[in-house]
Amino acid sequence: MQVVSLRSDAHAESDPLSGRKPASAMIEIEHVSQRFQTSGKQSHLALSDINLTIEDGAFVSILGPSGCGKSTLLYIVGGFVQPTDGVAKVKGKAITGPGPDRGPVFQEFALFPWKNVLGNVMYGLRQQGVKKAEAEARGRKLLEMVGLKGYENFYPKELSGGMKQRVAIARTLAYDPAVLLMDEPFGALDAHTRTRLQNDLLDIWDRQRKTVLFVTHSVEEAVYLSDKVIVMSRSPGSIKEIVDIDLPRPRKRADLLLDARFQKYIVDIEKMIDDGGKDDL
Amino acid sequence: MNQERINSVLLGITPIVLFIALWQSLISFGFAPTSLLPPPGAVFGKLAKDFFNGDFLHDIAATLIRLFAGFGIAVVVGVFIGLAAAVSPAVNAVVKPLVRVLAPIPKIALYPALLLILGFDHASKITLVTADALFPILLSTYYGASMVEQKLIWSAMAAGTPRWQILFKVVLPAAMPSILTGCRIGLVISCIVVFLAEMITSTDGLGHMLVQAARTFQTVDMFVPLIMISMLGLILNSLLHWLRSYLLRGFPEV
Amino acid sequence: MTARGVLKTLSPLFACIGLLCVWQVASLRLDTESFPTALEAIKAIPSILGDKGSLLNILDSIRRMAIGLVLAVMFSIPLGLLMGRIKAVASFFNPLMMIIYPVPKAALMPIIMLWMGVGDVSKILVIFLGVSLPIIYHAFQGSKAVEEKMLWSGAAMGMSAPMRMLRIVLPAALPEILTGCRTGLVLALITMITSEMIARQSGAGNILFNSLDMAQYDTVFAMILIIGAMGIVFDAAFEKLRLSLVRWSQPRDDMPLSFT
Repeated sequence: MQVVSLRSDAHAESDPLSGRKPASAMIEIEHVSQRFQTSGKQSHLALSDINLTIEDGAFVSILGPSGCGKSTLLYIVGGFVQPTDGVAKVKGKAITGPGPDRGPVFQEFALFPWKNVLGNVMYGLRQQGVKKAEAEARGRKLLEMVGLKGYENFYPKELSGGMKQRVAIARTLAYDPAVLLMDEPFGALDAHTRTRLQNDLLDIWDRQRKTVLFVTHSVEEAVYLSDKVIVMSRSPGSIKEIVDIDLPRPRKRADLLLDARFQKYIVDIEKMIDDGGKDDL
Repeated sequence: MNQERINSVLLGITPIVLFIALWQSLISFGFAPTSLLPPPGAVFGKLAKDFFNGDFLHDIAATLIRLFAGFGIAVVVGVFIGLAAAVSPAVNAVVKPLVRVLAPIPKIALYPALLLILGFDHASKITLVTADALFPILLSTYYGASMVEQKLIWSAMAAGTPRWQILFKVVLPAAMPSILTGCRIGLVISCIVVFLAEMITSTDGLGHMLVQAARTFQTVDMFVPLIMISMLGLILNSLLHWLRSYLLRGFPEV
Repeated sequence: MTARGVLKTLSPLFACIGLLCVWQVASLRLDTESFPTALEAIKAIPSILGDKGSLLNILDSIRRMAIGLVLAVMFSIPLGLLMGRIKAVASFFNPLMMIIYPVPKAALMPIIMLWMGVGDVSKILVIFLGVSLPIIYHAFQGSKAVEEKMLWSGAAMGMSAPMRMLRIVLPAALPEILTGCRTGLVLALITMITSEMIARQSGAGNILFNSLDMAQYDTVFAMILIIGAMGIVFDAAFEKLRLSLVRWSQPRDDMPLSFT
């Protein structure tokens, strides 16, 4: 497959085999709490005093039971939700709102139904002031990269779930964010499509080395994809443990499934989540 | 598939044919005198002949001008207020109670007031059409816009869309299916109201034709404008339907 | 209840007062004889409602409206439900409905009067015609949208087809049907007023136009207030009834979008 480079700056080109360039913090989350007003005077503490640093180029998953605030944490980094307390920073600057340096990919795809596939992918580029012809050329290249060549003029409704998510990923990659914020991106897909998209995502990440923050509730998915898994617990949402996944890259699913270290990670993390569950009860 | 379609069209034509047959037979078998119920042939013949009559075309034109002006203003105002109420809590707080009070009022009752304030000319009829078509359009715009998927907006914001552009680039197109549904209801209401207003007081228009004919007991001429307004409604409705399927080509299930 | 809640329940009242204020100021500004102030119009209301003839006229209108509405509901709901579940019924009636839809039913008044005279029957028939279509349409949409699997479950439990219609389709389509009935209620009022305006025999619409002809402008505006109030009260009362009937149905969420 042809390698398409979408980043003009040098740091994206780091060779995956020669290891990372010196780690620098991409995202810093300092004492972040989030309180939601429920009915009347009651409120619910969704996140309690979260502290977290994510290095540039790292693939980090957030894992936890539903209602642990993992998506909320992602939305705070996205700038979609303002934390009640504390501060979240990207590249050292406090986050005040959404911006093209942080691109979201949602479980619901959130494609614009009134635009065709190419129009969706071009949207961000046009928004950045890229000329139409160039935006179109880059859009076509991206669609080729995610395996959707020939679907440029289709409308989202005509695509399967997996294809829709590929379009959504291409739409986000188009404006070249430094951070990818993925909110259970493969949660609505069937098992087979899910595996294929996981592999494709790893392919793309190997080439572009963007920082990825990946929310999921599948332990296997988190271990398979990430450098680091953040395990959260519920009520109030807080970080329970951070597990470094020390598995070689590039990863092959077939090898890992037989790998005892991979299996152990999964078992250990599942236990951590289970313990959390008992605490709640 | 095709056979099924043909069957359903045939089924649909049946009641219309039956209706006309019943109409004709009432006269043929002498149940209804032609002075009360003219034969369908006479009515459709008169309708065809009238199309070459300047006065009739003038009446149609007068009705259409009022219809389009009133409906057009209702679309612009309704969509604007509906969007504003969906995105701004302050506008919402003002608009919502006003709509709750004004929407269920029978607008036709305002017609005498409009006549007194705006005179007997176009203005009062156009205002009445606007007042009647406004609320379905406003309400469906509001509901459509307030149900726009939050993540569509987030996606556009992350791609670098400034906040003030979100309204036109995301909320408006995403609410389009709902807006067009409101427009379709508003259009039919416009057809009905313009006709009624012309019946109550007017010097031209299709409604006036009907009243004029009723005064002189010209039963044939009473049916002609009724069939005409039904045809206008059908034509405008299919134009809107065509526009809808073009604008919403990307949306699932139009 | 919190202060905010009180404010919210009273907000339509504030809207009424606000509208009346705007009217008052506008009429003082325009200062023509044919546009009385809001206060003058309100003052004229008791004399209309106090007059036995007018009051009986208005009550008669409401009685005809109620009969027309009830007949229309009894006819339209079964037809709409059948159209939603049986394709042939829908193909049979749909084109006919499309043709009838844009015809103003109140405009049939002169023709119906020609046939049936000026009595109650004509007026009730016109209201019936005016109200039926939206109720049929909503019942049709509601019953078409009923989840097929719910009917399968019913069939598996041994319900007969008419039973499924009554026990599954009707309640499942009820929210949509009631929306149709609400439209129908307002339309019944509109058709009633309009047909009375056109027929000029009796009723609320007739009082309205007679006073216009006799240049009793404050009566015209007072009558508009009375009819408007009827619309608001009927609608609010029905909305209350509707909410109590379909409490289980999801309420429409009307949170403003968050991006401003």
